[in-house]
Amino acid sequence: MIEVSLQLLTFLAASLLIIIGIAGMLFLDNLIKKLISFTLLSDGVNLALVSLGYVPGGIVPILEPGASISDFPKEAALIFGPGIVLTNIVIGVSTTAILAALIIMLYKRYGTLKASKVLKGEME
Amino acid sequence: MSETVVNLWSIPLLVVIPILTAIVLNLLYNRVRAIRVASVVSAAALLVVSIVSPYGLQWFTGQPGVASDGSYTYSTSIFSWKLSLEYYFGPLQQILIFTSSLLLLFVVVISTRSLKKDFGPYVAIMFLTYFSTVAVIMVNDFYHLWIVVEIGSLLVAGLVAASGAGSAQKAALKYTFFSALSGSGLAIALALILGITGYANISDAISFLMMTDLGNMYNVLYISFAFLMLSWIYAGGLAPIHPLKSDVYRSAFPHATVLLQAQSKVMLVAIGLVLLRMFGGLPFAREAMLSISLLTMILGVVMALIQTDFRWILAYLIVSHSGLVTVGISLGTPLGIVGGLFQAVNDIVYMSVLLLCCEMLLYFNNGTSIRSSGGIAKKVPWLAAFAILGAFAASGIPPFNGFQSELILIQAALGGGLPEVAAVILMVSVSTFIALFRGIYSIFLKPSTNPLPEGSESASSPPRGMPIILGILVAITLILGVYPQLALDFLTESAVKVVYVPWVP
Repeated sequence: MIEVSLQLLTFLAASLLIIIGIAGMLFLDNLIKKLISFTLLSDGVNLALVSLGYVPGGIVPILEPGASISDFPKEAALIFGPGIVLTNIVIGVSTTAILAALIIMLYKRYGTLKASKVLKGEME
Repeated sequence: MSETVVNLWSIPLLVVIPILTAIVLNLLYNRVRAIRVASVVSAAALLVVSIVSPYGLQWFTGQPGVASDGSYTYSTSIFSWKLSLEYYFGPLQQILIFTSSLLLLFVVVISTRSLKKDFGPYVAIMFLTYFSTVAVIMVNDFYHLWIVVEIGSLLVAGLVAASGAGSAQKAALKYTFFSALSGSGLAIALALILGITGYANISDAISFLMMTDLGNMYNVLYISFAFLMLSWIYAGGLAPIHPLKSDVYRSAFPHATVLLQAQSKVMLVAIGLVLLRMFGGLPFAREAMLSISLLTMILGVVMALIQTDFRWILAYLIVSHSGLVTVGISLGTPLGIVGGLFQAVNDIVYMSVLLLCCEMLLYFNNGTSIRSSGGIAKKVPWLAAFAILGAFAASGIPPFNGFQSELILIQAALGGGLPEVAAVILMVSVSTFIALFRGIYSIFLKPSTNPLPEGSESASSPPRGMPIILGILVAITLILGVYPQLALDFLTESAVKVVYVPWVP
């Protein structure tokens, strides 16, 4: 029961991060804050992916010497979650880098980080 | 049963050559002649590989299909578990990759002649965009599908931002923010599908779904369908995010938009076929896809009708015609899918003609506004001729290729008992004609009301060879219009497989 609650808690935390991230990206006016919101969203998705692979009472998915091969698939946490998370981290970093580069270029051009002014083409 | 299993040699070439070329071009950076030679040779090599390659599979984890008796097989007629990350090169992939390779060659020739400095990284992004295009149509696993769509989205932003204008950077920023949302959704869809089926390979996942009663897990399948559809909408620029995509098309250089629209169409086909193969049996799945497609067609063409700039008209028409591609796929019948796939091939070609004509306007007219233009037909008659022929093809006028694919789509809609869909296709066709000829008349045929003073055209001369490139593309629209079977032979098998044996790539 405690393990089930633990997974539920991680899903709740992930949902909270995702909601805060999406809300920040949609409603905050500062481009840097939007960027930070995206990283929150990405972290929330990563947490959700890791939580999907959780097996109550399970073990780390590394086959130790002497361990039972037949019991291993039942006991080990699912490996695909962390596998996807690794890739998602790389994608997240790439996206953050491109967004940061675009924000810098727009800041140099318009002298402001306010999305409302940048999108209207107004200078600070 | 045991067979000799071989990985297809050409698939790694189609993936690795553009990536290596991009690295080399980045290193060359500013050496104009070396960049020109390396990029043209590489693009020509990719074109040759796409023509001479046989059909087959590439297992990235070295795992072909495992038959029920434990032996390995590469025969798609034998049921097997593949358990692998896999690329497939078949007739559908060949025609789409050939078309993309041809366009890459043309675009590389144009860009290396028209841009003067620092264009190594710019051409490198073009090669990577090509890579994302060919990879997405070959993938047969969710993991690669996700990565390629993500990479493709970031490359779109890069190619648009590279045009240097403030509006382009804004368009790229907006597009990348939405890419972040859609990419996260696609990651969740991938995780849910893996969680339900346990398989990353699309064929394995479909086989699992067909043999297993999911019970309460059907709800999870619907959620993964919704997230995958979100990425489909995003990658292809379908409604309701069509303004973002049309902004992207308008903001990039027209020659870059040629590659961008080809990438969008191929992604629409690739993800659309995966949606149909995997979720086509779910209640309301095809209806949802069809609704989005119809909405895109209507919104795109209505927006095109009210634009006053030829680039904007084309940007919205590309979006609208993306709906024509997806409406065929969404119908879910073999005829509908053939029509959608044929429309994708045709659309890529005739939109390229119009976009390259638009590029030439930047040299001969100092802009693409239809208000301050006129009399270009007198100054550059060959350009006016190609623009008119391209517009005929886009409007579905015989004997051009657009007519054949739209006819198939209308037949498929009527055959599927959806005359209203056929009516919308006809309306889009007529509206496309009006939108295009409104622009063409104002720019090319109407006498100039505000003639440019002598020598006031763009300081740089237009790329040489443009009439030849346009001539080849227009010839393709005509050949496919007169002999549609040349393309349909490549597409029919894939459409039939999607409907009757969806687990076969």
